[in-house]
Amino acid sequence: MQKGLVFNIQRYSIHDGGGIRTIVFLKGCPLACPWCSNPESRKAVEPVQWIKNGKKEIIGEWKTSAEVIDEVLKDEIFYRTSGGGVTLSGGEVLMQHLFAKEVLSELHYLGINTAIETTGCFEKERLESLLPFTDEVLFDIKILDMTQAKKVIGINLKNMKENFEMALQFPGVKVTPRIPLIPDYTATEENIEMIINYFKNFDIKEVHLLPFHQYGSSKYDYLGWEYLLKDMETLSDTEIDQIKKRFESHGFYANIEGLE
Amino acid sequence: MAIATTDKTQGSVNTMSKVNPRIQIMKDNLFKDKRQISIERALLYTESHKQTVGEPVIIRRAKAVAYILENVTISIREGELLAGNRTVRPRSGILSPEMDPYWIIEEMDTIDSRPQDQFEFTEEDKKIYLEELYPYWENQSMKDFIVGQLTDEINDALKDEVFKLNQTDKGQGHIIMDFPAILEKGVQYYIDLLQDLAEEQPENDFFLAGLIVFKAMKAHFLRYAGLAEKMAETEPVEQRVTELKKIKQMCEKLSTEKPDTFYEALQLLWMTSIVGQYESNASSLSLGRMDQYLYPFYKKSQDEGVPEEFLYEVLGDFYIKTNDVVLLRSESSAKCFAGFPTGYTVVLGGIDSFGRDSVNSLSYMMLELYHEILLPQPNLSVRMNELIPRKFLLKTCETIRLGTGIPQLFNDEVIIPGFLSKGVSLDDARDFATVGCVEVSIPGKTYGLHDIALFNLLRIVELSMYELRGTKGMTYERLLENIQQKIQYYVGLVAEGSDIVDLGHRHYAPTPFLSVLIEDCIKNGKDVTEGGARYNFSGVQGIGEANLSDSLYVVKKMVFENKEMTFDELVDAMESNYSGKYASLQEHVIQDFDKYGNDNDEVDDIAAEIFRFYAKELEKYQNVRQGQFIPGAYTVSAHIPLGEAVGATPDGRKAGEQLADGGLSPMVGRDRLGPTAVLKSVSKLDNYLTVNGSLLNLKFQPNTLKGHQGLNKFADFLMAFTKLKIQHVQFNVQSKETLLDAQKHPEKYSGLLVRVAGYSAFFVDLNKKIQDDIIARVEHEL
Repeated sequence: MQKGLVFNIQRYSIHDGGGIRTIVFLKGCPLACPWCSNPESRKAVEPVQWIKNGKKEIIGEWKTSAEVIDEVLKDEIFYRTSGGGVTLSGGEVLMQHLFAKEVLSELHYLGINTAIETTGCFEKERLESLLPFTDEVLFDIKILDMTQAKKVIGINLKNMKENFEMALQFPGVKVTPRIPLIPDYTATEENIEMIINYFKNFDIKEVHLLPFHQYGSSKYDYLGWEYLLKDMETLSDTEIDQIKKRFESHGFYANIEGLE
Repeated sequence: MAIATTDKTQGSVNTMSKVNPRIQIMKDNLFKDKRQISIERALLYTESHKQTVGEPVIIRRAKAVAYILENVTISIREGELLAGNRTVRPRSGILSPEMDPYWIIEEMDTIDSRPQDQFEFTEEDKKIYLEELYPYWENQSMKDFIVGQLTDEINDALKDEVFKLNQTDKGQGHIIMDFPAILEKGVQYYIDLLQDLAEEQPENDFFLAGLIVFKAMKAHFLRYAGLAEKMAETEPVEQRVTELKKIKQMCEKLSTEKPDTFYEALQLLWMTSIVGQYESNASSLSLGRMDQYLYPFYKKSQDEGVPEEFLYEVLGDFYIKTNDVVLLRSESSAKCFAGFPTGYTVVLGGIDSFGRDSVNSLSYMMLELYHEILLPQPNLSVRMNELIPRKFLLKTCETIRLGTGIPQLFNDEVIIPGFLSKGVSLDDARDFATVGCVEVSIPGKTYGLHDIALFNLLRIVELSMYELRGTKGMTYERLLENIQQKIQYYVGLVAEGSDIVDLGHRHYAPTPFLSVLIEDCIKNGKDVTEGGARYNFSGVQGIGEANLSDSLYVVKKMVFENKEMTFDELVDAMESNYSGKYASLQEHVIQDFDKYGNDNDEVDDIAAEIFRFYAKELEKYQNVRQGQFIPGAYTVSAHIPLGEAVGATPDGRKAGEQLADGGLSPMVGRDRLGPTAVLKSVSKLDNYLTVNGSLLNLKFQPNTLKGHQGLNKFADFLMAFTKLKIQHVQFNVQSKETLLDAQKHPEKYSGLLVRVAGYSAFFVDLNKKIQDDIIARVEHEL
């Protein structure tokens, strides 16, 4: 049985996928998005220590897939009445693909809706191994300029696109692209343009737009890390609406936070 | 917020886009003046009582009520379509010195400035009270009887605040009269029936007493007919003349005949309720399943082409009138039941006697009307079950989203089997409704004394721990054993005490009018207080489940498993109130041990086991009406005063701090995993046991219920609640910011309704402690 490093299990989430859901946050991510709101999940699949309100805490706990399944099944009754289920998020779920596979396959067997949130930053075999047990992929699309993508977040765009395109074609899997709207980084004129042009190649109906927020900022303090975006302003409603309209003028329904 | 109109398949309902002017005037007038105490009922009652010396108690009582109905000043207020006001001045509190003449003496000069539910008491009335009423009732009230009967052991337990006995100073209430029967038969039917029975069985005073009151009800109706006629003569506005003439004609008809229209049915319903109020000055004479028994009248009026706006307006009038009756409580009682829970509880929907869903177009209309009225009463409830139409569920969610705490939800899937387990027939169990705040009862058939006592389980844990300090070889099992012994002992006493109160009502305050409208009383020829009703219960609330789970979990883990400190040291820490060398312990026990409300079996099972023990113990007792004692689990607002009775506890709660609110809710701020985990924790108590009723508060951020998706996910959440077999849940949907601002600027928030516990009250009417408590209850974000 696989063990996975989990840093949070959040019950009663309605913002990430259909129905009432539990989100399992897996530790470890190879990317370095400066706006990351879960910085404690970054880097290796190893526990990390932070200091919160003067108290040391270890973030990340090794759990077997059976333990995680037991935990998420505590809310089974809510998944059944709402059509909800379990979302594996991160970190980057593909960092712990073997563990993820065990969790997803068991939940899938039980008829519980499964979703994963990924950036698709590994060779496509990893994602491919999860898709037979996955109902929905929330696919993060961030920066589409090859050089910028490598430089700012450290992602290999070729991998990402291969994964994205494979997921789109995979039978029975719903793919929802999610675009974080970060001023100066992703929410630029050119980047939005590139994303729209890329999406036009596929049969995509809906995208989620995730406007920048500062909710994660105190976590950088706990970790003693520098947070580059601490003075970054959030987007105004008008700016968000303009971006939404741009997507919609090209036939993509743009759902803010996935809440609409 | 858009109010969706009901679609045609459910009967068309015209949702009014703007506030109806008549409803607005009536609402405004209701709250224009300061609340006052009226001694009129007390004076009339006493005057009659003086004339009937030597007659049987029930006849004296009936004659006193009749005398009130024949002589009390009556009024028809501006815009009213329904006749019947308990007092001329809106929202007056009435005294019933025949029950308890004492408390008001002590509180006479503070009642207009006390922290909760103030009333004006005029100097003139105070004088009359002191000179005429008090001397007459002193030493011959119901209270004197009760106090005289209480044993030393019960008095010690009361002094130790292990339990509280309720309704020792006012009518029992917590009952629903058989409204469908009186609506079907009319007043004269009862007069004729009782006349015959009184002649056949002259030795049975019950029939004669009933006859006296029903005849007085007829006379009371005719007095209103006379008043309406007189007012019409001088009324300048023509439309109002027509209305007054209609009132006259209707009151005349209903003084004998059964109603034929929706309007007439509401009039008879209201008058029945008012007569009941004059008789018992009761804590909550509830209304039951209004959408069910009024539906035939509603349908008939619709079919006859009566404009929907008119039906809406009359029902609006009825809604407003339920806020006119407020209960005058002593200061300590007002603390426990803050903000005037009068108990005009109404349930909508639910399973019918065929086991099918019973939601109808009137159910929708009654919820929609509430969107316009937005007052604390009637206290609407919706019955949840697996068959509830999604459309009605969404309408319910929309109403909850208004943020006023109305409606509260009751779960057929657990309440019906609960009643079956107590010998209630399937048909009757399916017909249950709510009384008081959250108690459940079978309408028209039950005298349930649903609010007879509060039993503080946490206080027992505390007593046990102190008693066992210094025990050699102390174990966790030893503690549990001691707690169980104490529960056994005090349950015996609370049952005995409740029976004394029960007998007090029998000997001093029988209720012949009410009893005629409770099934089997006529058949048995007995008043409800004599045990005439079909179902007879006494409901004792077991309180403190959350704190008790949290506390015993700390004892078990910290003392007996981790051996961090000895049992005696923990008791010392409690005694020190977490001060001195134990100061840092408080945070340790709060932070480092899991708490009830987080879906941890090990913690949740503690309360489940102790509550089960308590329930099984209580159920062994039979009351003086050969009915069973049944357990409940709610505090209403009593978690604050009951907390004052308990010293520091092992869960980190300091001495005197409140207990967990509501009854089954987790301790404030200790649930960290959101509302699904709370529901799971609550579901582990065996909720089939709380046949008397239980209470769960949940607080949601307004954001989480936003939009179509938010509403639907909330509806799904409620379906899970239904499947989890939890009896009750109610919601506060106000942001913390709004409530804090209302505390600072009460003048801007006079209409802000919030959920207290089983009922809603105006936020600004509540004292600061309860306001703070409501603010602190965790906001769950979806």
